[in-house]
Amino acid sequence: MVTFLVFATIVLLLAVLVLIAKASELAADLKDGKVSYVNQSKWNGYFLLSFLIFMFVGSAMCFKILMPVMIPKAASIHGVKTDFLFNVTMLIIGIVFVLTQIALFYFAYRYNESKGHEAYFYPHNNTLEVIWTVIPSIVLTGLIAMGMYEWMKIFDASARDKNMMVIEATGKQFNWMLRYSGKDGKFGERIIDQAHVSPTNELGINWEDPKSHDDFMSDKLYLVKNKPVLMKLGAQDVLHSFFLPHFRVKMDCVPGIPTEFYFTPTMTTEEMRTYLSTQPWWQTINPETGQPRWQTFRYELACAELCGKSHFGMERDVIVVEQREYDEWLAKQTPMYTPPVAETPVVDSAKAEVKKPTAMLEKK
Amino acid sequence: METATAHATEHHEHVHGHEEHHEETFLTKYIFSQDHKMISKQFLITGIFWGVVGGLLSVLFRLQLGWPNETFPFLESFLGKWAEGGKISQEFYYALVTMHGTILVFFVLTGGLSGTFANLLIPYQVGSRDMASPFINMLSYWFFLGAGVVMFFSFFIQTGPASGGWTAYPPINGLRNTAVNLGSGLGFDLWILGMTLFIVSALLGGLNYIATVLNMRTKGMNMFRLPLTIWALMFTAVIGVLSFPALLAGCVLLEFDRLLDTSFYLNNIIINGNLLGYKGGSPILFQHLFWFLGHPEVYIIILPAMGLVSEVLSTQSRKPIFGYKAMIFSILAILVLSFIVWAHHMFVTGLNPNLGAIFTLFTLLIAIPSAIKVFNWIGTVWKGKVRLVTAALFAIGFVSMFITGGLTGIILGNSAIDIQLHDTMFVVAHFHIVMGVSAFFGMFAGVYHWYPRLYGRYMNETLGQIHFYITLIGAYAIFFPMHFMTGLPRRYYTYANFETFNNFNFLAEFISIAAIIVFIGQIIFVVNFFYSIFNGRKVAAEKTVDGHDYANPWGTTTMEWSAPIERLHGNWPGDIPAVHRWPYDYSVNGREYIPQTEALKPGEVPHE
Repeated sequence: MVTFLVFATIVLLLAVLVLIAKASELAADLKDGKVSYVNQSKWNGYFLLSFLIFMFVGSAMCFKILMPVMIPKAASIHGVKTDFLFNVTMLIIGIVFVLTQIALFYFAYRYNESKGHEAYFYPHNNTLEVIWTVIPSIVLTGLIAMGMYEWMKIFDASARDKNMMVIEATGKQFNWMLRYSGKDGKFGERIIDQAHVSPTNELGINWEDPKSHDDFMSDKLYLVKNKPVLMKLGAQDVLHSFFLPHFRVKMDCVPGIPTEFYFTPTMTTEEMRTYLSTQPWWQTINPETGQPRWQTFRYELACAELCGKSHFGMERDVIVVEQREYDEWLAKQTPMYTPPVAETPVVDSAKAEVKKPTAMLEKK
Repeated sequence: METATAHATEHHEHVHGHEEHHEETFLTKYIFSQDHKMISKQFLITGIFWGVVGGLLSVLFRLQLGWPNETFPFLESFLGKWAEGGKISQEFYYALVTMHGTILVFFVLTGGLSGTFANLLIPYQVGSRDMASPFINMLSYWFFLGAGVVMFFSFFIQTGPASGGWTAYPPINGLRNTAVNLGSGLGFDLWILGMTLFIVSALLGGLNYIATVLNMRTKGMNMFRLPLTIWALMFTAVIGVLSFPALLAGCVLLEFDRLLDTSFYLNNIIINGNLLGYKGGSPILFQHLFWFLGHPEVYIIILPAMGLVSEVLSTQSRKPIFGYKAMIFSILAILVLSFIVWAHHMFVTGLNPNLGAIFTLFTLLIAIPSAIKVFNWIGTVWKGKVRLVTAALFAIGFVSMFITGGLTGIILGNSAIDIQLHDTMFVVAHFHIVMGVSAFFGMFAGVYHWYPRLYGRYMNETLGQIHFYITLIGAYAIFFPMHFMTGLPRRYYTYANFETFNNFNFLAEFISIAAIIVFIGQIIFVVNFFYSIFNGRKVAAEKTVDGHDYANPWGTTTMEWSAPIERLHGNWPGDIPAVHRWPYDYSVNGREYIPQTEALKPGEVPHE
């Protein structure tokens, strides 16, 4: 009933609007039998000028209100640099934004037809056009050069630290599987075929490979401060994307094609909390926890590529610690591998056959 | 007299002077019409229908995003199982965002925009009686309508419409398995079928537009006397003809994967620990094929809007477009560059980093022709005598939006910065402003400006201005603050699972309210549009020759108003007028405007 009333009200309001509009048309100024738009131009000139001011006030308010709640400063080496590049670009485009919007709306106001002047026939000016081609070109060249330099550095495989950590993350609907290489620092081999992949061994780990015996899975992503880490990324079923917003890390996880991302975290979780405790917005109380926001701050891993109905739920905590704490945590982890006598992966004769895609089965 | 036989055009040329009175049936005049003006109206009205549907879908998912903890019982009465208990289901949410994108990108801003204005303006402004092939032109509309019927039908099937994103990425869309994704069943088959029909329509239309502009210009209409609308529409058609086939190929192979279990895009797919039999394909291959259309597609959307705005700004400023040739060459530069930037949508797919660097270079280069165009538009307004009617307001709004949205493209195009921003709300804000809202503004400018040409009546100015200010303020209120969600992934049903993303609830609510207001504002446009068809102020005749009334409501130089107010089949009752000058003789030689069809005075040097 309420819904109906709301719709009825909207329809009525529209009808009233149309009638008023129609009346205004009948009362329009006529000049030599043609409708004159001079009066209308005058008012719209003022409106456009007011909009310009409104737009700048609104943008300033956005910066004031929204900047503090944005994701805090970058916690990785390359992240600081790309943020700097972001800020430089932002500054440049901010200046262009202000100047061009002022010119556009001011000219529309200043030269509207109610001002009683004649238009100025001015079809082109080569000097001006060269100027506004060359200046953007120079600025863009600078931005392109800076961007390419940072980009190539981020993905420069030859510059990687030999002592980096390697962690494997595999996305599936709707979870992340995080595999650590254990004490030996080496991953057990994975073989993707019918003999190895099964519901109990989704990753297809080859248990005959002794390197696999100390590998373990973690439900949290543990990283070490200032220790470079190479994320080996993959996906089981559909596309996912490995996104660590605080570390400015994002890389798609593609079924059947390995990808990777190399980065170095620079702040532990505790250090980030300490930093945030000085920020006004983070000092406010979170109504859900009843505590200041900075106290419950945590780094998170998210999925950034649409992967199905629970795409928004692929959350994992990320914890950055000092090496010492990491070693303690490492010592407490239990490997996935269990000796073969106790638990051989079940070989089901039906499953051992070459399976047809489920899509094919479904159709029948 | 509007006749619908294929030969009427030629026939007219022989018998001009006396009028034919073909009895036309309702069917040949309004339905299976081959008249470019009627086809233009068909595209426009179909586009408006899709615009309302696409907008409504966005209102529905904005309800979820703005108030993730509320329920809206009235939704259940409309949507049934998709909104049990008044809460939009996860599956339907993704169907909504997928279809919102598909509908607005293809059915409104490609079909609706190009279809309407290429059909209306090309024959009128190049001086031709109709399209090169009116029959193919008719087919183009009917394939477009057919595509729409198929897409619309997919809303009413058991598993719902496609829900794997408008980009149709495999494997989520490549597995015909509703357990992986509900919309990837029959819904996505219909999506592919709909898109296939749509692509056929775009190709038939595009080839026709190009052929008409190149071959059917009137006497004296050399290429550098074409108005910028025609240049833009022709280049748009060229882009479409070159890039749509790549999408068609991509979609056909995708359907092979789905129906015939080929492995073009699939490799080592493991569902719940069960390895499927697909071997050797690459999901990334599809992305290359998709974006080889997908990126040019955004120029297919924005170039017609640019053309319309150039023409409207110049006409309403009573001043030639600033830098006519620079405008043409910058569109050409955009056309060429649009084909070599597609991989900037794929910076973080594991692409070779060298490719990322090259694509950054080309992507940022597009800013140069875009900047030239913006400066030239501002230069056109400068020292003009701007008549601030609704069409001009929307044209100015277009430039404002294009600046705002275009500038953030410089951030996103830079691959190093894109790592963080890729697939976040920042991207959503960027492309909605620069191609969604801007293209709509261009389209509205065009509709208000050329409505008298379409219907012989004006749209209501008061309603038009209310519509303009609601849309301008509302669109900025929606998308400007959205840029600040720089780390929030897009396509999230709720952000409640993340501590990191949970700080923007108040903003999401604000954006949703703005979106609802803007949607209601668009209803004002729709009401105005249909009301004015029957009740709008009529275009008053300024002179009458041989029983035909002529007028030039905006005092424009281009050829469309050299034809009578009445929409004759064949456009001009007698010979097609010849053209003697460029299209932008405004405020020159002491005249407010000099039509292109007016002969040069003795001793007058044409502007070249």
